[in-house]
Amino acid sequence: MEAAFAEMPLALFSTLAPLGAGAFVALAAAFLAADLSDDQLKKIDKMTAIPVVLVLAGFVAAFFHLASPLNAFGVFAGVGTSPLSNEVAVGCVFVVLMLAYWIWALTGKMGRGARKGMAVVVAVAALVFAAFTGLAYLMDTIASWNTPAVPLQMMGYCLAGGAAAGVLVLGLAGCGEALGTSPLKVTLIVLAIAGAVIGIGAAAMQLSAASGMATPFYAGGDLVDGVMMTFVLGAVCLAASAVCTVLAVRGKSAAALGGAATVLAFVGILCLRLAFYGIQLSVGLALLP
Amino acid sequence: MTQYAFHFDGTRCTGCKTCEMACKDYKDTDLGIAYRKVYEVTLGQTVKDAQGAITTDCVSYPLSMSCNHCDDPACAEVCPTGAMHKDDQTGLVSVDAAKCIGCGYCHMACPYNAPKVDRDKGHSVKCDGCAERVAAGEKPVCVEACPARALDFGTVEDMKKKGEQAAIAPLPEPGYTHPNLYIKPSTDAKPAGDASVKVANPLEVM
Repeated sequence: MEAAFAEMPLALFSTLAPLGAGAFVALAAAFLAADLSDDQLKKIDKMTAIPVVLVLAGFVAAFFHLASPLNAFGVFAGVGTSPLSNEVAVGCVFVVLMLAYWIWALTGKMGRGARKGMAVVVAVAALVFAAFTGLAYLMDTIASWNTPAVPLQMMGYCLAGGAAAGVLVLGLAGCGEALGTSPLKVTLIVLAIAGAVIGIGAAAMQLSAASGMATPFYAGGDLVDGVMMTFVLGAVCLAASAVCTVLAVRGKSAAALGGAATVLAFVGILCLRLAFYGIQLSVGLALLP
Repeated sequence: MTQYAFHFDGTRCTGCKTCEMACKDYKDTDLGIAYRKVYEVTLGQTVKDAQGAITTDCVSYPLSMSCNHCDDPACAEVCPTGAMHKDDQTGLVSVDAAKCIGCGYCHMACPYNAPKVDRDKGHSVKCDGCAERVAAGEKPVCVEACPARALDFGTVEDMKKKGEQAAIAPLPEPGYTHPNLYIKPSTDAKPAGDASVKVANPLEVM
């Protein structure tokens, strides 16, 4: 686990950014599936500051990982060749779209049609960003990371964490009753449960595969044993987050349950990300930090 | 372009680590940073039978290695800024400190444990093949320092005549990055990918 904690800035980035980005998937679902009043939309736009701050905090955390953050603009030089550059570029596109949507919405001059369109665009960008965050770890010289389970788990965290944060925003905006209406309720329940199942399932598959690997420095089984408690804690918290999200969409105490779901999702995803960093197994001689 | 390469003679190396120390001295590296490392590769087991007789088939062989200036360097392929690059005249792989952000991606990707982020310097550091010495017609300082003449450096055509492309354990199969390291293995050396070998000095080569 020492190696995992050495990657804490990256773990925070890959927790906060998909969690915040995923909230825009839930918000897009709300705009498409529920009949919200102008007053409710205004409150939602104010509360959208929460996922915006989560995403931006994730990017700030990533900067603490760099030894020379002042050179950071150079990362765009590798777009198309470096998976890290691709991730950052897609992340920046998402942030620009997110801020454009949010600022436009805050002006109060966004029509309902434009809101639906922009929200869907930002939601799709959020999922693409989550996938690229996972794809950044796929390289054939790190055997335990080089699996489609990695982008899959990031998308799962985005959906489950995003459903929790989205319900928090809707709850704080006084949309408790709207949450309980059928199409939105079902959509958010599907997002929360599917996200948790995909996230936890993909992470479990990756751990299982890693336990059978070995390098001249590490036995995969030993590394997996070392992160097992963290993985279990993460899986339990993410599952509990999905349960809170499901309870929240019943409409009562939506804000409180949404808040609990968001905190549990943060702790759960962070633990699962730390477990991920703790099972880095090279095909050769690379050593854990 | 002249691609340069290292040669390691496993039948000569005694594991004395003079190469490693000469490099540290010449490059003035700090504690915890070494561009050339000597891996103490061990395998075998010692067992006690029912009669109490103890037998062993344990062996150990040293492997001296720095950056292998690969044909397809994983470090350069993943580098987001292009700071890690391969010289088009010599094939030597080095870091442009002015471009490097110190993300550590190169360290993660390299299967030969070559680059490392020096947080005090603010960028990745690694063996550059003593490029300035090579330009002056000399060999890298590790090669010149080896008392057993177990190391050599030259054009890849010349080094290929001295051994096989890096294919002994604990190295990975050379197909991942096509390293410019040619090895004459010791009699105890196992083939690349052999899972029975361990590195006995991990803290020393971190």
